[in-house]
Amino acid sequence: MGGMSRWLDVVVGTDDIDINTLPSNIALVDLQNDNEFKLVVGDLGRGEESPRLKIFKGAMQISDISLPDLPLGVVSLYTSETSPRSTPLIAVAFSTCVYIYRNFKLFYKYYLPTVELNASEMEVWNKLTDPANHNEETILALTETLHNMPQKILSIQSRDFLAMTLEQQLEFLENSTDLPKKRDREIACITTLRMSSVDRYSVSCVVVGTEDGEIIVLDPQTFTQICLVKLCTVKKTPYQMVATGLYNVDYRITVATREKCVCLIKREWKEGRLLFSTEEHVVAIEVLTADSSIMVICTDNTLASYSKKGKRQWLVNLEHRPVAMTLVPILHLGVTLVAVALASGHLHLYDGKARRDSMFLRDVVSVMKFGQLGQEEHVFIIVTSNGNLLLKILKRTADFNPHAAGIELTGAPVAQKPWLIPKKSKLFLEQSVRERETAVAMHESFQHELNRLRLLAAKTLLEAHTKSDNFIGAGVMEPIRLSAEVEGLGPVFRVTLQVENTSADKAVVGLSVLFNVHSTNYKVYNPYIKVPLLGPGNQIKFPTKIEEIFSENINPDVFFRNVTGQAGEGSLIKVLLLKEGRPNPVLAATVTMPPTDPLMIPYDKIQSSGFGQSDK
Amino acid sequence: MGGGVTQATVLVLGLDNSGKSSLLNALRPPEQRASLTVPTVAHKQDQFQSGGVSFSAWDVSGASRMRALWERHYRYANAVIFVVDAADHLRLVVAREELELMLAHPDMFGRRVPLLVLANKSDASHALSATHVAAALGLERIADKPWHICACSALTGSGLADGIAWLARQLREQRSNK
Repeated sequence: MGGMSRWLDVVVGTDDIDINTLPSNIALVDLQNDNEFKLVVGDLGRGEESPRLKIFKGAMQISDISLPDLPLGVVSLYTSETSPRSTPLIAVAFSTCVYIYRNFKLFYKYYLPTVELNASEMEVWNKLTDPANHNEETILALTETLHNMPQKILSIQSRDFLAMTLEQQLEFLENSTDLPKKRDREIACITTLRMSSVDRYSVSCVVVGTEDGEIIVLDPQTFTQICLVKLCTVKKTPYQMVATGLYNVDYRITVATREKCVCLIKREWKEGRLLFSTEEHVVAIEVLTADSSIMVICTDNTLASYSKKGKRQWLVNLEHRPVAMTLVPILHLGVTLVAVALASGHLHLYDGKARRDSMFLRDVVSVMKFGQLGQEEHVFIIVTSNGNLLLKILKRTADFNPHAAGIELTGAPVAQKPWLIPKKSKLFLEQSVRERETAVAMHESFQHELNRLRLLAAKTLLEAHTKSDNFIGAGVMEPIRLSAEVEGLGPVFRVTLQVENTSADKAVVGLSVLFNVHSTNYKVYNPYIKVPLLGPGNQIKFPTKIEEIFSENINPDVFFRNVTGQAGEGSLIKVLLLKEGRPNPVLAATVTMPPTDPLMIPYDKIQSSGFGQSDK
Repeated sequence: MGGGVTQATVLVLGLDNSGKSSLLNALRPPEQRASLTVPTVAHKQDQFQSGGVSFSAWDVSGASRMRALWERHYRYANAVIFVVDAADHLRLVVAREELELMLAHPDMFGRRVPLLVLANKSDASHALSATHVAAALGLERIADKPWHICACSALTGSGLADGIAWLARQLREQRSNK
């Protein structure tokens, strides 16, 4: 590593830290709303130790809560947008329920809706609970029937029953006569989805994936089910979900399943769809927010990128089995890297398929996460399989450019994507044959046509130019049209003059426009405009600013002028169209200016007129 | 200098939220103190006197995106106060990295600029002692500058006077040697 490393290692006292967790059981939370992010870990416990929710400040454990069961996933979310911000909630998923913690205290328990038992299992239990059947042979036979049913559809009671010895089974049946009415859905994974804003502190909802292959979205306020979608027509079991987008706008939930495939759920889909299948089991997926492409690591030692449509874009072979993956977004560098940890203890950072950084950790990664911890934005949190916690902080001066020092380029520089070349059609083949055979003739005819076109263009230009000289001299002025329109509320108006040459073949040169203001009431910002050459059928617009000037002793009548009407005698502006070398204007038009809106009259003028006082 | 008051420009560096502005606040006379310090943007200038030296202190922002601007001030600094949050164990490595970058900068390297390291927030729970902070920052490796570390608390003001007095003594000695 040495001086070339881009990462600063934080010295962690390893003696009292022993974490045994899963990738989904780790979250970075601004627990106390002081912009000091804490690390929240759902610890599975080890041996005698019971599962706990551990809170770390930096590398120091500051608190823990005992959990009732093994945690399956830990997420944090905001459920209200109040000001000042409320503290975030922590949701911990267990086998059949989600516990919501607020300020480290249990706040709400959500149980998944139950499903009806399937008929054959019900039948077996009907027989089992009948005291007449409480002898060894029937129980053995019934246990066998239960045993032959698929594990997944059995209720917990049936599964527990199967695990018992015969004596225990008999005792159990003596003591309880309850039928297992319903089967609980079981949670496989959990994530969060923002509701309507991508803001860091905006409201999110909990998304739960069940063992039965359903995705359930919970309302952030009431924690009731607002959406239930089946993952796929064929039963698939989710085990990792990545939700992107906004629930109220458009969202995508990308789900990795245990059946070697990745499924997708989008807004308003009644049922999820299979996006793509992989050859081997998926270890982890990540979704890049930039283009929704999906990064997948598989047990066949590959890292692959799939487009959002499910098409494979590239594949990189890894030296060892990948064990964990996380996104490393570095905003100030504008890159999102993908960190892949290998079973050999190496950690590689990829930008696309190019490897940008490598680290050797001397220990196998179990879980890793990148984000803000404490006040430091770019912290790599690594939990190793020995239960150690490693923290690495990205140096401020780190650079992940391909040309930056300390990067060994791996592999030959290959094209990122294969070119999209359409299939050769019969038409194309025939054309290419013709081109080969009569290349000279085709080139000649093309050049001939090109020259003809150039000649035609030159002729037309020359014709228009020669005609423009004697145009005014003939005394015909019909082809030129002058129109004006006035925009604005005043005192500054915009007058757009439009000079149009309606002639079909004659151009005009040497024109200019002059404004003639009748009184001193108006100021024209640009009173003389030279008109450039006006081609046949062309028109040019000249926007000009004209301001109404108010004298110091303003007439109070001004305030009562009708806005839609006209300002009266003094409001006429003459526009003259002049031709070079002629003493008289060739065209003249009169523009009547509208009165200035009384509300727009400058305040100091109102003051001096004493108008404001007379109101009181 | 003629035995008058020595003038010195001192640069106050440190990560964001290490307590640079609070520290300068604590050095002001009681009636001028602000009741609330907010994160500094860019830099602020402040004056204070101690031990016959009139300090003109540059308080620069410690936010990570602002740290690239520190080097602008190195050239005219007569002394450096490096403030470390002794309770923020996680970012001690970041403080060390920034200190090393500062010491290696061409405008700083080889100059006998007195360096005062303040292990701030000594009153907080879990705060490291001055010796621990010195070890974590690798201060023993600094050979080209006189340095001193002391634990202090910008909130209570304890330990501050010691450090500033050392800095004033260093600066006076340097001037008299010239």
